[in-house]
Amino acid sequence: MAAIRTNGLTKHYDGGIMGADVTAVDDLDLVVQEGEVYGFLGPNGAGKSTTIDMLLDYSRPTEGTVEVLGHDAIAESEAVSERVGVLPEGYGLYDRLSGRRNLEFAIEWQDADDDPAALLERVGLGADDASRPVADYSKGMTQRLGLAMALVDDPELLILDEPSSGLDPNGIRLLREIVREEADSGTTVFFSSHILGQVEAVCDRVGILDDGELVAVDTVDGLREAAGASSTLELTMSNGVTADIVDAEGVSDVEVRGPRLRVTCTDSRAKARIVADLLDSGHEIVDVGSESASLEELFAAYTNGTAVEESTDGADGADDADEPPQDETPGSEVVA
Amino acid sequence: MTWAQVARKDFEDAVRSKMLWGLVGVFVAFMAFVLVVAINTADAAEATSEAALGLTANFAQLFVPLIAMIAGYLAVVGERRTGSLRILLGYPHSRRDVVFGKFVGRSTVIAVTLAIGSAVSILLVALVIKSPDLANVAGLLTAIVLFGISVAGLAVGISASVTSRGRAMALAIGSMLVFWLVWDAMAAGVYAAVTGSLPGLTAEGWYFLLKRLSPIGAFRTVAEGFVGGRVPPIFRLGIEEIPPNTPSEQLVLSKRVAGQLPFYLKNWFGAVTLAAWGVVPTLVGYLRFRRMDL
Repeated sequence: MAAIRTNGLTKHYDGGIMGADVTAVDDLDLVVQEGEVYGFLGPNGAGKSTTIDMLLDYSRPTEGTVEVLGHDAIAESEAVSERVGVLPEGYGLYDRLSGRRNLEFAIEWQDADDDPAALLERVGLGADDASRPVADYSKGMTQRLGLAMALVDDPELLILDEPSSGLDPNGIRLLREIVREEADSGTTVFFSSHILGQVEAVCDRVGILDDGELVAVDTVDGLREAAGASSTLELTMSNGVTADIVDAEGVSDVEVRGPRLRVTCTDSRAKARIVADLLDSGHEIVDVGSESASLEELFAAYTNGTAVEESTDGADGADDADEPPQDETPGSEVVA
Repeated sequence: MTWAQVARKDFEDAVRSKMLWGLVGVFVAFMAFVLVVAINTADAAEATSEAALGLTANFAQLFVPLIAMIAGYLAVVGERRTGSLRILLGYPHSRRDVVFGKFVGRSTVIAVTLAIGSAVSILLVALVIKSPDLANVAGLLTAIVLFGISVAGLAVGISASVTSRGRAMALAIGSMLVFWLVWDAMAAGVYAAVTGSLPGLTAEGWYFLLKRLSPIGAFRTVAEGFVGGRVPPIFRLGIEEIPPNTPSEQLVLSKRVAGQLPFYLKNWFGAVTLAAWGVVPTLVGYLRFRRMDL
């Protein structure tokens, strides 16, 4: 049984007379297996929160079905709530009550016997902070408390919507640890983010949502491979060069900025060969740098179509003054 | 059924907020004001404690709905706007539990407010004038609390039906203005449309029922059973064709309806009406809330 399964899930907002109609989620078939950590990735406005809202019965699908832990999300929403821990987006706590009291209510509502102090410690909230009213909390403290409330009663499935928002680096590290601990104890974790780095660090699988549609589902490595942008070679030459000095084999893109060459390789072994070729043909190399493909590029590759090309287009016209005009047309430097 | 948990949380939250105590303060101040008026207007010493009860009932038409609406109109939509509804519904509460739990929670807040306020003011009456008849005091107190709860039901129903605070406030104020100013005129209008003439000193029984179907009319009906006389509307519109110098004994309902009073014009029927005002809007609010996206 899948932890989450949606079938043809669609959410359509009728804009009324003045507004535009919006399809926030479009015919989404999402499957999250039990026990996996699933990163639900997409730019802001892609429909991530709308999808999560429908998993939790905060909003109702226009079409399609949602099953969470085998329960129908609408008809059996209470059964879902009993087994799922939730950190929703745009939530608020009870400002006048202390952090501890908020947590105590969560424990009572979940009919659980958790120790509030242990949960607070787990998310790094001290006893002093816990006894203050939530109205005084920073965004990061609120998010920690929200996380503690989601962990009540050791849920079978954790649904975290943009859990890192408002957290400082320590908080993000803590969040990552908690997700790992929960995953190790068999909890399925489904969390959304628009920041790739956070997904990469903890997720077994990643689904990329764009404009309400799932454009890719794979492991982070698989996605990187499929996007064909595995690594980048940065070369600084002693004088101005053109893109065609680099051999096309194993190369997806060459970007020229004055004396600098940025070569995107689909095969990282191409890097050494390119350097050797250039030296052989008498070019002088001042500096060599190398980096893994940026995840932003990978992300963009899925959400904007061919992002590798796009990322070079804007810069070329301005920087390549020394190039012949016919070479300035977009795509002319894409070798592969 | 977890409505009791929702109600408890709601009550505790209200106690923490300044709202509850603010309302108690307003109500006590209002009762003290009534008392001062009662002392100053009473022409004969023996009538003073009854006069205090009558005046209380009279001014309760204005203050109880005000207090109950203020206490209730944000019950659901306030949590929707702050996002705490997303937390509440993330736990095993159904939407029905949320709406009815809120109704119970806010009703408790209002009942406590009105009970404390009334107790203080009755103590004042007892100290300053003399002890009024305790049965009447208890009856009027019950009527006031029931009235408050029925308006709370309306407020929670409104709160569950809308998506913004502004709309909730507009509906809350609008409905109170209808009950204070428009309802009796509408009843007279319906009467004129059906019978061809405005209601006079005597009229058909159903006309009086129509007037008493508003929560304020229903409260007057119930309160009249305990204050030893007629409770006039807080705002008199003068639509009925009644000679201006009619003695007030002639305005008692039994003199205005031919024959025996039908059951629906008895005082207890006002209590039934109030109960319906508590339940029906809450139910309608729930039915709308059930289908809405947060």
